Amino acid sequence: MRRRVVWLITFAGGLYFLLEFLLPEQAPAWLGGFKNPLTPYLTDATNFIVVVGTMAFLLGPFNLLRGHLGTLLRLRKGWFESAVFVVFLTISIVAAADRPDEGKSGAGFAHLAGLVYNALFYGVLTAFFASSMALLAFYLVSAAHRAFRVNSVETGLMMAAATVILLGQVPLGDWMTQGLPKFLQFPTMAQWILAVPNTAVQRAVLIGACGGAFATGVRLWLGIGKRQD
Amino acid sequence: MTRWLAKLHNLNPRWLYLATAVLLLVPLVTMIPMPRSDISGAVRGLYDMIEACPPDGIVLIDSSWDAGSQSENKAELKCVVRHLCRRKIRFVVISTVTPFCPEFAGQVIEPIAKEAGYVYGRDWTNMGYIQANTGLAVVIEGLARDFHKMRQADVHGTPVDQLPLMKDVRSIRDLYLVYSVTYSPGTEWISFVKGQFGTPVAFGCMSIMAPSYYAYIDSGQLSGMLAGNRGAAEYEALLQHPDLGTKLSMAASFGNAAVILAALVGNLGLWAALRMRRRAA
Repeated sequence: MRRRVVWLITFAGGLYFLLEFLLPEQAPAWLGGFKNPLTPYLTDATNFIVVVGTMAFLLGPFNLLRGHLGTLLRLRKGWFESAVFVVFLTISIVAAADRPDEGKSGAGFAHLAGLVYNALFYGVLTAFFASSMALLAFYLVSAAHRAFRVNSVETGLMMAAATVILLGQVPLGDWMTQGLPKFLQFPTMAQWILAVPNTAVQRAVLIGACGGAFATGVRLWLGIGKRQD
Repeated sequence: MTRWLAKLHNLNPRWLYLATAVLLLVPLVTMIPMPRSDISGAVRGLYDMIEACPPDGIVLIDSSWDAGSQSENKAELKCVVRHLCRRKIRFVVISTVTPFCPEFAGQVIEPIAKEAGYVYGRDWTNMGYIQANTGLAVVIEGLARDFHKMRQADVHGTPVDQLPLMKDVRSIRDLYLVYSVTYSPGTEWISFVKGQFGTPVAFGCMSIMAPSYYAYIDSGQLSGMLAGNRGAAEYEALLQHPDLGTKLSMAASFGNAAVILAALVGNLGLWAALRMRRRAA
């Protein structure tokens, strides 16, 4: 029964969005010139999807909190990490809810909430995000040293293309080849690789992927395939 | 010599990390002047598009980046906003990836808008975060049809009807251009905005994602694209205002050089190690 309800909602949603997209905004005059009858409901249908998606934001922290509170209350292994999670979640929610509007300093508790929010958001979260991405530079260099082996014609070609693209995208490449004829300069070669062979491959991949996505979409829409529940 | 080179094969990665840190720090501390080649067609396309914008045109900016991709997206947003402010073009900002994005966008835009004498609500608005993870396509189509129904208040909670600029923005037909700047902009903007309504679309993306979008530049479905800091630096050159993109593309120069050198060192080391093994056998 549950599966049928899910399939029915999926089918109805798919049919609505498909027809709304395919039907013209206004019918030709010889057909009466009426407007697309599905369009007035589009924003409400879209808002429904946004609301359903937003529920996941609540569901995620709720599930996490349930799991961590269980660990903390029973003092199971990893209770300290759970305590850190619960404390920071509580502080973040309270600080974000009570902080003053942007550009205002607020007074009393709101002022304190603003300070805590800024410290957590800019001092901790932003720094963590940026640091984790910055670490990629080091991993990339390490990976290039350990894994990028030129041991065949194909890998040699790949290394050459990678070198041209890497140097053609930065001013260093301009500087290294500025004295050479235009067609031998790194930026020119990089642009050619990106605009010609890369575009051809990307198109081929896109056409293949779109075919796959279409097939998957139709299977989901019609409820064909293995049961997921 | 071969023995020395063979040691490079098992080089302690800490030396690589140290070399990378030094190489990346140098251009950030000192500005090293380097020549710049021609402006690429993708960057020129976006610049020309904004240059051709009529005075009453309005641009929609989808600024969907946060700390994770600010190393490139920040410069891409900054230079385009500077151009819009210089030309006194009004713009609306939305975010569709994470709830943090509007705050990051505000930090970049507010000082430039203030310097240009822009009045919030009249010349630009930050409409905040729209949850689009469940379906960017439907959100874009919803915005395209009726902006006010999809987003009823701005990031500060001001109702959309009280924002003078938003009186001129009801649907995508009221917009001159959509500029999506994020790690990897959704091609749904192309399908549902350019394809369905004909409104031009331009992207600002991380340089590693740029190869995916060249097919759309080639077909004319994308009016322009800033690919990473290189794109931002070229845009800044067109504006004759070297800024963050120029500085960071210099750091990228050294970063990319570090990757190439590491691959070269690794291969030399492997070659020497294999040669020594063959000799020993």
